Amino acid sequence: MTEKKFGDYIINVDNICKTFPNGVKALCNFSTNIRRAEVVVVIGPSGSGKSTFLRCLNGLEEIDSGSIIFDGIPLDDDKKNRLKIRREMGMVFQSFNLFPHMTVLENVTLAQQLVRKSSASVAKSVSMELLEKVGIQDKVASYPAQLSGGQQQRVAIARALALKPKVMLFDEATSALDPEMIGEVLDVMKTLANEGMTMICVTHELGFAREVSDWVIFMDEGRIIEGGTAEEFFSAPKEERTKGFLNQIL
Amino acid sequence: MRKKSSLTLTDLLIGSFLLLVCLFFVYRIKVGLNYNWAWDSIPQFIFRFDKENNEWVSGILMTGFYTTIRLSFWGIILATVFGVISGIAKTSSILFLRWLATTYVETMRNLPPLVIIFIAYFFVGDQLLSPLGIDDWAETLSPASQNILSILFAKPGYLTSFFAALMTLAIFEGAYITEIVRAGIESIDKGQWEASHALGLTWYQQMRHIILPQTFQRIMPPMAGQFISLIKDSSIVSVISIQELCFQGIELMTSTLHTIEIWTVVTLMYLTLTLPCSLLVEKLETRLNLSLR
Ligand SMILES: Nc1ncnc2c1ncn2[C@@H]1O[C@H](COP(=O)(O)OP(=O)(O)OP(=O)(O)O)[C@@H](O)[C@H]1O
Ligand SMILES: [Mg+2]
Repeated sequence: MTEKKFGDYIINVDNICKTFPNGVKALCNFSTNIRRAEVVVVIGPSGSGKSTFLRCLNGLEEIDSGSIIFDGIPLDDDKKNRLKIRREMGMVFQSFNLFPHMTVLENVTLAQQLVRKSSASVAKSVSMELLEKVGIQDKVASYPAQLSGGQQQRVAIARALALKPKVMLFDEATSALDPEMIGEVLDVMKTLANEGMTMICVTHELGFAREVSDWVIFMDEGRIIEGGTAEEFFSAPKEERTKGFLNQIL
Repeated sequence: MRKKSSLTLTDLLIGSFLLLVCLFFVYRIKVGLNYNWAWDSIPQFIFRFDKENNEWVSGILMTGFYTTIRLSFWGIILATVFGVISGIAKTSSILFLRWLATTYVETMRNLPPLVIIFIAYFFVGDQLLSPLGIDDWAETLSPASQNILSILFAKPGYLTSFFAALMTLAIFEGAYITEIVRAGIESIDKGQWEASHALGLTWYQQMRHIILPQTFQRIMPPMAGQFISLIKDSSIVSVISIQELCFQGIELMTSTLHTIEIWTVVTLMYLTLTLPCSLLVEKLETRLNLSLR
């Protein structure tokens, strides 16, 4: 892999905790820093808090303690800050969550017009460009229900990219897909990574993790057990729990 | 699933049974009932020729029918507005708004409509609308504007009571629409909220562009059903002397005693309003099933 130049830290997560109302401790004293252009892969067993971590980053869940600073903006009680941060982060969900009552093009255009106040024509040309990039240019007038899972997820990626986010969050973006469609979505993600997008990906695709990630985090029970470069992590895991997990899924 | 449309033996048996029941009724009316049929006196209550002015004018049942249409039309609009606002309030994260909407819905659903009509009519009519002096104001308008007012709402002199009845009807039906809207909003997948949240939409933008459009698509059938109820329920305002279809029917019945003829006409008039709505519901339901597949 060619050497990438990383920038300064764009996300600082310091000692955050998240306990759900039902008493489940999803995150405990969780700290990590993420640099610009870095691709971080988060892995861990089911229920270890991977999704919760991503959802705390863009304010879908509130943290109980600790701090998150995104590009100099603290994610605090100030609604304006929270909105600003959400608008700089794109998120891709396991279940796509496209807007079913809108065409593919409208899905990608909507937020540009509402959030970035782009004119209809600018928004449309940006959307067409992105849809071409993810390979959906000939389906722009279709509704999500008329697309395959892989196509829907690629539209969802284009929709998130439309706001030109500084960071992209992927929460098991390929887990709901049939095996033959996983590749097409991973390819889009790889392209993004090579273009220098800052990405945090929760995934079970270890091949992808090995190939594109700059840093791998293994978490269990709401904590980071181990973090390292892909090479270190996969060839020489230090912790017993990591070894156990890797043995289990390899 | 498509149902078979061919007749089976069961269908034939049920059909012939119904035919027998009908024949029995006809027989009873012909033989058992000592009734003075007067169908020829009925048309004048629908349309009659005014010899003085040399023109056709609407009869008493027809004017009642118009009032029912006006009440239903504005009632549907107003009740939808009330229902949507309070339905949104019911799903709000602000506790006070939820309480307010719940109180409204529970009050309306747990009282007999007649009680609500009387309370609301005297409160809305006497306390809120009368001081506004709508009728006095309407009397001062030009004949042309008075004409428009009476086509849209009611004749000057009847406006206050019409609006009071309209508000009462809308408030009452709005409670049921509230529940339809609330259930509709809650049926939207929470991924829709999350995706639009992640895109940085504000709450208003989420509601306006993502949640409500999908909600409306989904609640069309129950809404149309509620509109049918509203049309039927508009008859309860006859108790506060709004001269709608039922009121006129009762008046005519007491003065002419042509009970069967009059209520047959009234029935047909209600059906011309409600049946199209029912057909619409059916259409919408098949379309919804198709689009959800
Ligand atoms: N809204 C919620 N309310 C209560 N508990 C929750 C909620 N969301 C998640 N949890 C719990 O928090 C813990 C962490 O959940 P999380 O979804 O972050 O796990 P995950 O690592 O993403 O798992 P998976 O691989 O299955 O997606 C789990 O025990 C889960 O049951
Ligand atoms: Mg998860």
